[in-house]
Amino acid sequence: MAGAVSAPPDDRTARPGPTRGTGAGRAAARIGMLLGKRVLMLAVLLAVVFAAVQLLPGDAASATSERGEGAAGVAARRHLLGLNRPLWERFQQWMTGLPTGDLGTSARGQKVTDLLAAPFPNTLLLGGAAFVLTMAAALVLGCWAAARPGGRLDRAIGLGSTATFALPEFIVAVGLLLVLSLWTGWLPAVTLTDGGGAPADWTMLVMPVLALAVPQTGWNTRIVRAALADQERTPHVAAAHLDGLPRRQVLLRHALPGALPTIAIGAATSTGMLLGGAVVVETLFNYPGIGTVLAGALADRDTPVIAGVVACAGAAVSLVLFLADLIRYRTLGDRS
Amino acid sequence: MSTTAVLDRTRLRGPRALPRVAPALLLTVLALLGPLLAPHPADQPVTAPYAPPGDGAPLGGDQLGRDVLSRLLHGGSALIGSALAVAVVVTALATLLGCLAALSPALGRVIEAVADVAILLPPVLGIMLLSLAWPGGGRPAVTVAAIALGTPYAVRIVAGAAAPLAASGFVEAAAAGGERLFHLALREILPHLRATVLALFGLRFVEAVYVISMAGFLQLGPQPPTADWALMIRENASGILLDPWSVVAPALAIGLLAISVNLAADTVAPKAGRRSGPRAGRGAGRGAERRAVSRR
Amino acid sequence: MDLNRRQLLCMSGGLGAAALLSGCGGGPGADSDGGGPDGPPRKGGTLRVGALGRASAITRDPHGTQGNESDYLIIALVHDTLTAPGRKDNTAGRLATSWQASEDLRTWRFRLAEGATFHDGTPVTAEDAVWSLRRLRNTPAGAARLPGIQAHRITAEGKDTVVLVSDRPNAELPLLTRLTTFVLKKDTPEKELAQAPGTGPFRLDRYRGGNARLVRNDHWHGGGIHLDAIEVTMFESPQAMANAMLAGQIDLASNAGAVAARTAAGRQDIQVLRRPNDMAMPIVMRAADGPFADPKVREAVKLIVDREAMVKQVLSGYGTVANDILGTGDPDYAKAVPQRHRDLARARRLLGEARFDLSRTYELITTEDIAGLAESATLFAAQAREAGLKIKVTKQESGTFYARTWLKGDLYTNYWGTNDSVVFFASKTMTTGAGQNEAGWSDPQFDAACAKVLGTADAARRRSALRALQQIEHDRSGYLLWGMADGIDLAARKVRNLPKLPGYGRVQLEHVWLAR
Repeated sequence: MAGAVSAPPDDRTARPGPTRGTGAGRAAARIGMLLGKRVLMLAVLLAVVFAAVQLLPGDAASATSERGEGAAGVAARRHLLGLNRPLWERFQQWMTGLPTGDLGTSARGQKVTDLLAAPFPNTLLLGGAAFVLTMAAALVLGCWAAARPGGRLDRAIGLGSTATFALPEFIVAVGLLLVLSLWTGWLPAVTLTDGGGAPADWTMLVMPVLALAVPQTGWNTRIVRAALADQERTPHVAAAHLDGLPRRQVLLRHALPGALPTIAIGAATSTGMLLGGAVVVETLFNYPGIGTVLAGALADRDTPVIAGVVACAGAAVSLVLFLADLIRYRTLGDRS
Repeated sequence: MSTTAVLDRTRLRGPRALPRVAPALLLTVLALLGPLLAPHPADQPVTAPYAPPGDGAPLGGDQLGRDVLSRLLHGGSALIGSALAVAVVVTALATLLGCLAALSPALGRVIEAVADVAILLPPVLGIMLLSLAWPGGGRPAVTVAAIALGTPYAVRIVAGAAAPLAASGFVEAAAAGGERLFHLALREILPHLRATVLALFGLRFVEAVYVISMAGFLQLGPQPPTADWALMIRENASGILLDPWSVVAPALAIGLLAISVNLAADTVAPKAGRRSGPRAGRGAGRGAERRAVSRR
Repeated sequence: MDLNRRQLLCMSGGLGAAALLSGCGGGPGADSDGGGPDGPPRKGGTLRVGALGRASAITRDPHGTQGNESDYLIIALVHDTLTAPGRKDNTAGRLATSWQASEDLRTWRFRLAEGATFHDGTPVTAEDAVWSLRRLRNTPAGAARLPGIQAHRITAEGKDTVVLVSDRPNAELPLLTRLTTFVLKKDTPEKELAQAPGTGPFRLDRYRGGNARLVRNDHWHGGGIHLDAIEVTMFESPQAMANAMLAGQIDLASNAGAVAARTAAGRQDIQVLRRPNDMAMPIVMRAADGPFADPKVREAVKLIVDREAMVKQVLSGYGTVANDILGTGDPDYAKAVPQRHRDLARARRLLGEARFDLSRTYELITTEDIAGLAESATLFAAQAREAGLKIKVTKQESGTFYARTWLKGDLYTNYWGTNDSVVFFASKTMTTGAGQNEAGWSDPQFDAACAKVLGTADAARRRSALRALQQIEHDRSGYLLWGMADGIDLAARKVRNLPKLPGYGRVQLEHVWLAR
């Protein structure tokens, strides 16, 4: 950060960044490397998941067998599902299919892509709305609290965010359901779908989104607040204060940009938490997302479906992490 | 062990910390002693299913007409116990591995990579996978899953805190003196990490409550007829309008536990982000960033 | 169960007159109330129905295993079975309007409804029905669904008659054609099963992820449909479905359960419909071998259970106490067999005589496939402890249960959804070597009693044979049937003429109408 001390306080481009003294090619190579790293990590995760699910006792052929189906029938289904082929071969086939959008075939003989095609956008809508809400709320609350460190508002927000961030989503969901729907009748208790398979009405999204957003807002508010506090102690922010600039301007134009990489990583963690929480919240509100598909797939030991859901979730988290990488790179340059 | 550590720290902080720590302690003690206070057995019907409060069942009946209050008193000790176990094991593992990682760059890189991969797996999906890999494993399976999922990040935090110590003169001097890696970690670095480890323990406990209750709600952990707060919420959800207490009481219990423990942990822990101490020089934002990735 | 006079006429008198024909088997509209108390039915409107189902278990194949109620509901409204459960007779006509047996009760002829067409306008032929029945027979569970009928012995006779030949005399064969004999067009490709035109009262308008919209088939051979459309919404949990009902998001919550009924009890805008004898949740004790092989042990366990408490606690009182005989809704159910009550002293004595090992803990395996099942196991375990019998309840996932426990386990819970025939259970689940003999029970006297029932054409003699059969079942079988759950539907006030039948009869929504 040494370079930043002498920089004009209101000139953000003068702070270290990819454009300073580096060619566009080098920046592209660096970004490519960051992307490569995230893709590699995702591949490793998928390999671990595939191996873990394969090593589970019992398999999809017997888990999905019908009443009255004998051992011969199960053997035939094993053959049909390819469960008798070597583990490595199946893994290879699965991994090579992934980039083309082919997630394999479920234990019941359906394309996993087809199974997830309708519910996954709904989960993304739910998670996305919660994500936007939680980040917006966290930035506002975090900055508000940081405006007067140690003030009454700071302490209240600190207490509130500490209190909420550890609450499991289903606890929040039960509370919302009871108060906003069953007792008062203000909001629909469950989500029904329209002809296209999406939630029929926006009011049905309110409670699931809130149930997901409240704990995450608590968490991200703490991150924003702490990151801003760290920035307050950096030389260039201290210099801006010494220059007599208004607090609000220092906070928003000097401290906040430097805090963004940390906030972005917090957001990436939130992405995983939101997707995981969605699985639980969806069952409570009958929301037509991947949570319901996943619950059934677990009961059936349906490897390709579970792996498909993990792949989708992992890809979403990877994407946000990559964006966090980019923000970090833009802010800190090659030292990121 | 944990309780004395917390108390120890509380004394250091003076009387102002006590009100923030007391609720967590009180709740924990109440939950652990609960089975002794319960007026009825946890598995015998005493009233009609989802009967409203009254008539020997102050909080009404559950799905089989068992006493909600008695099940509430029975249902916290195992949850808190396994959360404590997870917190202790993760903290211990992380402390050991983190110190070693700070001293050995190769190990440090491996741990970084594992944590980078693990962040891609949402905890709920992870716990589902691990519980399934151990069918019928019940609570032990969930406990192991929570340990496996929580450790990578925790190691990262300790390694980060230990790194400046490892680079300090006295450790380098000891290393030059021929001390073995393990002894270095235990004798030279560990004693200086007390604040970090205590903070870590608090956060791990909070997260373990989250993960274990989530698993309970998904019915991956304890199985009926076990009395368990998270399971009670799931089991009695259909009777929420007949006897709201059958759901609200365990939900409040988990909520209060999560909040009170979190406040306690926040009180006794050093403010990692706000008083970054030795780490501040290495780059602002690191402290908060470590918190940002430490959640699991 | 017995054949009533109308069916006997059909069976013995041949097909003389058209008037007789229309009377046989009741016909598709026979079970409806017509106008009901609120005047003539009103035409029009869309009924929004909620039914339970899991996204991962969705089955579109009419001959597949429909684990989801929602799937079965949709299929049963789009496609017709040959016959259907009836109120006055156990078997009512559907696509087949009449049926008759040969003298030896082995060959049965089913005549298809006149003028029945598929939704695309093509007439239904016997060839279509034969193709569909053979396809059903060749599914993995086919042998259990059409027991005693080989695929090649299902043939067409002319354009409108289907002939089924049984390996053994079977006076109750039409019972087997009620639930899954959905008729599709001959040679429907596997890929088009989901969208294939049916012959049923409703056409599939759209389908997505377990939810469907069905519109009225104006040309249905049964006629008398009042609704414009039915919208089926799948719910993962009974709670979510009940919440939707309470919030007015659906008009009918099918099989919502007792707790939902109690919750809705105070609501003026919701009617609660109880269909008695809907669901059996027996505890199965393995009779072939293992700790419960001794009939004395089985009788002791049957004496340990507190039936009244089970009905009160597990079913919230929405049910009736049962007497270890399956098929409680049968008109010829043996009410005369003395009700078994809890008797711990006698149970202990019997266990002692059988040298039963009370120091061991026995595992009772259960599933959560239907509401109340796991709870019944939990409560029974608590009751058994009072008699010194230690039972540990283990929950299995549905798939694991059917692969490992069903038909094999020593002690497990199971459930049956259609309970209007004693002989249906006796022949499918209790005779020696029957495909679904869940307890591995083999009792020569019982086998003889069952063969006698199935081989007797005379009603009075069949009834007395059936009584003897039920006494043996009560005394010695591997089933502990503690009670019967009512089927409970919640519906908005405006919904009229809802199905009153237990079991799979609940899907008969074709005569429902909506009042203003």
